[in-house]
Formats: sequence, structure tokens, C-alpha cells
Amino acid sequence: MNILLLSLILCLAIFSLIAKDLLHSIIALSAISILSALLFTFLKAPDVAITEAAVGVGVSTIIYVWAIRHTKRKDEEK
Amino acid sequence: MLIERVLIFLIFITGFIGLISMKNIIKKIIGLNLLNSAVVLLFILEASRIGDKAPILNDKIQNIVDPIPQALMLTAIVIGVCVTALSLAMSVRLYKTTGSLDITIIKERLENEY
Amino acid sequence: MKKTSFFKIFLTTFIISLAVLPIILSNKSWPTLARDYLFNQAFNETGASNTVSSIYLGYRLMDTLGETLVLLVAITGTMSILLNLHKQTLESVETESSLSPEKRPQNALRTNLVEVVASKLGPIILLFGLYVMLYGHISPGGGFQGGVIVASAIVFLALGTEVKTKLTNSVVLSRIEAFSFISLILVTTYVVFFTDGFFSSIATDSPFVSASIIILLNIIIGLKVGTSLAVMIIAMMGGQHAH
Repeated sequence: MNILLLSLILCLAIFSLIAKDLLHSIIALSAISILSALLFTFLKAPDVAITEAAVGVGVSTIIYVWAIRHTKRKDEEK
Repeated sequence: MLIERVLIFLIFITGFIGLISMKNIIKKIIGLNLLNSAVVLLFILEASRIGDKAPILNDKIQNIVDPIPQALMLTAIVIGVCVTALSLAMSVRLYKTTGSLDITIIKERLENEY
Repeated sequence: MKKTSFFKIFLTTFIISLAVLPIILSNKSWPTLARDYLFNQAFNETGASNTVSSIYLGYRLMDTLGETLVLLVAITGTMSILLNLHKQTLESVETESSLSPEKRPQNALRTNLVEVVASKLGPIILLFGLYVMLYGHISPGGGFQGGVIVASAIVFLALGTEVKTKLTNSVVLSRIEAFSFISLILVTTYVVFFTDGFFSSIATDSPFVSASIIILLNIIIGLKVGTSLAVMIIAMMGGQHAH
């Protein structure tokens, strides 16, 4: 179970760095936070799970979306 | 047990390669976030090996996990979000000054102005 | 150009992985001395059933004070860059995500669905955040966790427009934040200099209140973290002059 969640986190991490649309990268980062919170619950750490879920999905995603809104949304890489 | 550590090491290397080789500033900050997440995962994984119950004490609980790395990782997560917020504010300020998010274009525009 | 930069990236990654690899391949067992000591002594010394709370609010309170200070400095820096940014571009942007109601017909991002759902869910999440903050010593939770949930609840209340409350006013929130930071400094100074350290209890002769320092510190830290994050996010959405 731990190995399955960790390999999903690795695939999402690679996807978030090579996506052309920055909104897709932000949604992948938020999904990494939720899967990490699930993994912390399986590893018997409830305090860290609540903190990672509240901070990684709530505050961090809002700040990234604000930063994209005031700059460009597409990543034009040649 | 070795496979989980190797997967966490691969997440660390992915974050590090994203930090040094991407041209967009926002992708560099995403790489920094991935580095933080990998280190937190490694500590909590190592702390859960020596017991099998969550560290909430009761009359009948016998064999708890190690609670010290969990207390340290709470601080690490909060400081990670502080660094992310401040660096994203600075990158928006750079965009308003030079008009681009690409670090090579930013470097030559800043050299031409000052 | 591509070939030399590929070589440099490979060389740097190789050196970093040589530095990290002994951690991955080591076979030493994790020491159990700290876990045994905490299992026997943490409840008698601090009075909290949640062992993680008794570590970061009892044995290592100085680290928590340093972390609160880092949060304060980071949010101050972000707010100062933010307010200069919005002052420059206030004439040219049509403020698509502002919170004032007369700009709403031009705005395609905030529909009626978002506003009605957010205004109905806001008070429930606020109640849940206060519960997580107050019960931090006997169940998972505590100051930081409850504070972030309270910040999310205040952002929900600011997004819905059928709620008329002073809780989304930036002046009120920053006064609560300043008051809780000053009281944090006063409480820790009183505890260090006038009683016997971080393990004492404020109500000295009440038999049913144990761990009273931990409950007080949870409330103060939760209020500080929650209100400062809420002020920053409301300023990001452009609504600090809405009331």
C-alpha cells in the first residue's frame, strides 16, 4: 500500500514539471499533498496528516493560483 | 523496505532536477516544494518502523511509534509554506518589472536597464 | 548548447546523489531510547495525552516560538510586496476578483453557486476549526492545525456575499493578530521568570484542570496563525477596502 502511493506521487511529480499549462502543474501539486496526507494516516501520524492536508491543499494552492493570475498562464518553452 | 526509500530518493532527485534545469521561475518553485515534501516523507517513514500504534496515550496502549520526528516535521511544513509564499510574491514583482517569466530573458533585460 | 547543459545537470545530480546515498542504504536500526522515556514520563510531566503536543509545546517550546516568528516575518514581507503591486496597477486592471458587489456583472469567475455554497459552509468550518484548536491536548490537532482551518473558514465567509460580518474586515483581523502575538510573549515571559519553567500550571489549585499551559498556548497560537493567513489571502483577492 505504501509502495503504490509512493509510485503515484512520483508519477504526479514528474508530470507537474513537464506540463505546458501551469494550472495543470498546480493541480498535480495539490494532488501530491492529498496523497501524502493519506500516506501519513497509514503510517500512524495523525497530527502531520491534518497539517499537510490543511496547508498543502488550502493555503499553498491559493497562493500559486494568485501568482499565475497576475503573470502568464502558459509556459512557452522553445 | 528498501523500495520505499529508493522511491523517496527518486522524488528528491526529480525536485532537484526541476530546481536547476527548468527555465520558468514558477517551475523552479514547484521543484523546491517537491524537495520539502520528499524530506518530510522520509522522516515519517523512518519513525513508523519501531512501533504500531499512533502516539495518543491511553490506559491500554502498549507500543507507540516514535513521536519526535512528527513534532519536528510540523515545523518543517509550516516553514515550507512560508518560503513558497515569499518567493512567489518576489517572482510576480519580477514579472511586473521585466515582462517575462523566463530567467534568461529576465537576466538580459535587467542588464540592459541597470 | 543543449549538450553542455545536459552534462552539467548530470554531473550535479551525480554529486548530490553521492551525498544522499548513505542515508538510503544504511542498515542501522532506529534507536528507541527517546520513545521509551516519553511513553513513561510525558503524561506525568506535562499533563497532555497527545505526545506530539507535549513535545512541541512542552519540551521544545523555543522551537515553536522561533517558527511563529518566521511566519510573522514571511507574511509581513509578502504583504508589503503585495500592497505595492496593487497600488501600481489599480487603474489598469478591471479587478476581476474583487469583493465589492457592484463589479459582479462583469465577472465570469464568481457565479451564484460559489457564493451561496461558500456562505453556507463558512460557519460550520469555523466551528470545526475552533474544536480542533481547543482539543489539541487529548486528540490529534492543536494550535497550527486549528489556525489554518480557521483561516480557510474566514476566506469562505469573504467569498460569499450574503453574510454581513465584521470577521472579514482587515482592521479587526489585524488587531486580533497583534493582541495574540503580544499575549504570547507575555505568557512565555511570565512562565519562564515567575514560575518553575514550562511544565507548571497556571491554575495551581484546581483539580480538574491539568495541562492548562498547553491549552492556553494552543488558543493563542491558533488565533495568531489563523488571522494572519486570512489577512494575507483577503489582500490577495483585492478586498482589503471592501468594508
